[in-house]
This record gives sequence, C-alpha cells and structure tokens, in this order.
Amino acid sequence: MNIYDIIGPVMVGPSSSHTAGAVKIGYVSGKLLGEPVREARILLYGSFLATGVGHGTRKAIIAGLLGMKPDDIRIPESFVLAEERGIRFSFGEAELKEGHPNSAELLLTGETGKTLEIVGESLGGGRINIARIDGIATNFSGDYPTLIVHNLDQPGHVTEVTSMLGHKSVNIATMQLYRRSRGGDAVMVIECDQEVPEDGIRFLTHLEGIQKVTYLSLL
Amino acid sequence: MIYHSIEEIRNQAEEKQVPMWRIIMEKDREERQVSQEETFETMRAMYLAMKQADQAYNGALFSPSGLAGGDGEKLHAYNQTGNSLMGVYPSLVMEKAVKMGESNACMKRIVAAPTAGSCGVIPAVLLAYEELFGENEERMVEALFLSAGIGEVIAENASIAGAAGGCQAEIGSASAMAGAALVYLQGGSNEAITHAVAMALKNMLGLACDPVCGLVEVPCIKRNAAGAVNAVTAAQMALAGIRSAIPADEVVDTMRRIGNEMPVDLKETGEGGLAVTETGKRLRTHFEAENKN
Repeated sequence: MNIYDIIGPVMVGPSSSHTAGAVKIGYVSGKLLGEPVREARILLYGSFLATGVGHGTRKAIIAGLLGMKPDDIRIPESFVLAEERGIRFSFGEAELKEGHPNSAELLLTGETGKTLEIVGESLGGGRINIARIDGIATNFSGDYPTLIVHNLDQPGHVTEVTSMLGHKSVNIATMQLYRRSRGGDAVMVIECDQEVPEDGIRFLTHLEGIQKVTYLSLL
Repeated sequence: MIYHSIEEIRNQAEEKQVPMWRIIMEKDREERQVSQEETFETMRAMYLAMKQADQAYNGALFSPSGLAGGDGEKLHAYNQTGNSLMGVYPSLVMEKAVKMGESNACMKRIVAAPTAGSCGVIPAVLLAYEELFGENEERMVEALFLSAGIGEVIAENASIAGAAGGCQAEIGSASAMAGAALVYLQGGSNEAITHAVAMALKNMLGLACDPVCGLVEVPCIKRNAAGAVNAVTAAQMALAGIRSAIPADEVVDTMRRIGNEMPVDLKETGEGGLAVTETGKRLRTHFEAENKN
C-alpha cells in the first residue's frame, strides 16, 4: 500500500469493490479473451447479485469488456456503447460453490468464435482475483502480464514454457500449477515482470500437449 | 524514511526541520523509486481530479436506486439565501461534501479519499478553502500529502475499510486526514496537526457502517457532510490551542479495537443498524426484486 492507495484511485463511483473492481474483472477478462467480444453471458453471485443494480456492477463489467478502465466516465453508458458495437450480452445468477461474496462468472465468445469462461472476485479497494479459467482454479490479480497455459498433465510442459520465457528474457514473478486429475487437464498461471513477446506465445500454441494459451497483456 | 505512527512523522519532521508533508513525500519517493517532481505531480493530479469532480456535479442526476441526488443543489440554494446557520466556509464545506457523495452515488468520476464512500470529506474541506481563502495550488497539494500520510498510518495501525472497521474507519479517517490538512493550511504547528487528527477521529469513534440496501447512499452521503464539518471543528479547536487528552496514535489504536469488537452486522454487510429498520428492509425487498430482473 502506498499514499496513492489512500488518496486515490480516481474512479467512477459508487463503490471500489462493486464498481471499480467489477470494471477490472471485465477489463482483464476481455484482455484474456484476446479478441473483441461478440457475446457475453454474465452471471452474478452474492452481493454482486443482490446490490448490483444500485452499484452499477452490470454496467461496470460490460464497460471493462469494452476495454474501459475504472476511471472512464463512459462507464454508465456502457450498455449503449456495447449495443452500438453489436455485442450481445445478458445477465443471470451464478451458481458457485463457496464463491467469494463479490463474484462474477463471465462466459465470453469472441469475434472468431474463441470462447472463455472466467470467474472473477472483487476483493475490495478495486483489487481483484481471477479465481477460475475454463473450469480450473486459478489465483491471480491481473496486475502483471500473465500467461495462462492449459495443457495435458504430462512431464516437460513446465520446462517448455519456462525455457521460452527465459529465452525471451522474461522474468517470472509468480507461478502456479493446477490440475484437475493426474494425467488430465492442467493449467499453469505465470505472472511475469515483463511482457511476453507474441512469437513466444505463438510458439507455445504449436507444442503437442498444450491445449490453449491465454495471455493478459498490460499494454 | 520509514514511519509507523503519526508521532514518528512529527518527530522526523522536527529532526530534519521540514514540514510533516515532506517526510510523507520523501517516504513515497523512496518506496516507489520516483523523483520528487513525479510524486508531487501525481498528487497534484489527484487534487485536480477532485476539483474536476466537484465542478462536474449535476444536481439533476439521481442514483440508479433513486435514493440519492439533488441535495447538494438544495444546500447550495440555501447557502445563497444569506440565512445560513454557519459561516461561509463551513457552509460551503458542507455543500461540497454532499455534492461529491452524490456524484459518487450517481456513477460520476471521483477520487477515493480514502474510500469511495468517504470521497466527499477531504475535497470539500480543501476545495472550499482554496476557493474562499485564495490559497495557492502548491500549498493545497502539500496539504493533501499530509492527509495521505495520516491516512497511511491509520490504514496500517487500524483500517480505512468499512467492512473491517465500520464507518469510523472511512468517514472518521477522512475527517482526521482533512483536519490535519486544515491546520497545516492555517499555519498551525505540528503539535496542533496531531491534535486535530486525534480530536476529529475521537468524535467519530464507534460509528457503524450500516448502508441501506448495501448501497453507498444512505447514510453515507450525509455522513460525508458531518465528517467534513467535524474536520473543521477539530482543526478550529486545535488551532485555538485546545489539546486532546488522548494522543492521536492512541486514538487510532482505539479505533482498531472498537472496529474489532464491532459486530459484523455493523460492518458494511447491510444486515444491521439503519439497514434493518422498517423502511430500510422495505427498500431492500424492493431493490432485490429489481436486481433479479
């Protein structure tokens, strides 16, 4: 925490958790999709569901998906802006097990048909946690360039990914590994100190056993 | 430059013979590895964002719930009648605090200071001061550094989140931060600054966070007005030479203890206090139905 967490951030109201955090969940999800959103189904949970209208939570998530940041004064008009871009969106209730009280589940389809399922949690003060991607638990803030690799749980994939990062002079800040079952679907979440170059990401997508590569760029 | 208490900020300032805000700025410079100019300009940007937010107030707007809007305009009109109960300065402080709280509820851009729910207190006290006393902008930014440092210590030793410490942690902290800034602007001593912090915070101890329907509207907006005028009260007492029997850092500790002892119902859950009054519950039932549609 520094003095600009005390005086700041500059944000569109009314709530750092229910508005600013919701914008950030939308923003990070849109970035993770990696292409313009064509369709979004947004499921709200807990306090996000109970108080969302009064806090502008729905508008905030859509604004984030459109690439707006929490201080963008167009946030209240996000529904109109999304409709103008031909984006279809709808809302519902999320059924999460032991979800954080301020959670949203986003089911996204991009322009090329790429899909992504994300559960984001708003932790307070505008900070968020991405708790699930495509059904597998994760745990990252969206404050770093983040590489998410879905792969089969086989020996060698971690080395392939970390060697690529080393080769591209990207330093790893944090790294987490998750798997659904032994030998089944696995995911690694790597927060980096530098941006990962595009050719590095493309290289990974061509490797056998790597099913999907998602990248959150802060650029 | 490291500090963990208000007393430490004061002692370091007196050892180095610089104003307290400088110690706070230097700590930020070291922590974030930025130049003096960079951090000063960042703080100036925060001040200017507050000013923009104040100017962008629209008295015709209502919040999505319909519970908030238009009250700042009413205070403005009343202040123009010449019948105000208070002097020009506290009247304008109150007006600006309500306006900012309403702007926040109406999804306008504000500066969290220290939170969105308490965003009206510090700008109200500072902007009204600049407007009426003709202070230059550099000094206003310096005062804002001082507020930030006080808030930093409160966040470290107690809390600035309603969910953790109740409303005393939000409006109370904002009020203490604003009181310190006012004493600085008026040329008060470092000692007077710390006593304004102590008195402002003492007056807000025990305040519950009990928002109706869980929204940052009732009672939050009007509490911004109370917190802002309370900052003026504390600053005026400190400048007059009145001293708090309990030092500022001990008051901050007290706020933490009270916050810990406070039932969860009174900490931003919307499950207690004003939120569960007959009217509060009726509003909640109404909005919950609306939310699910």
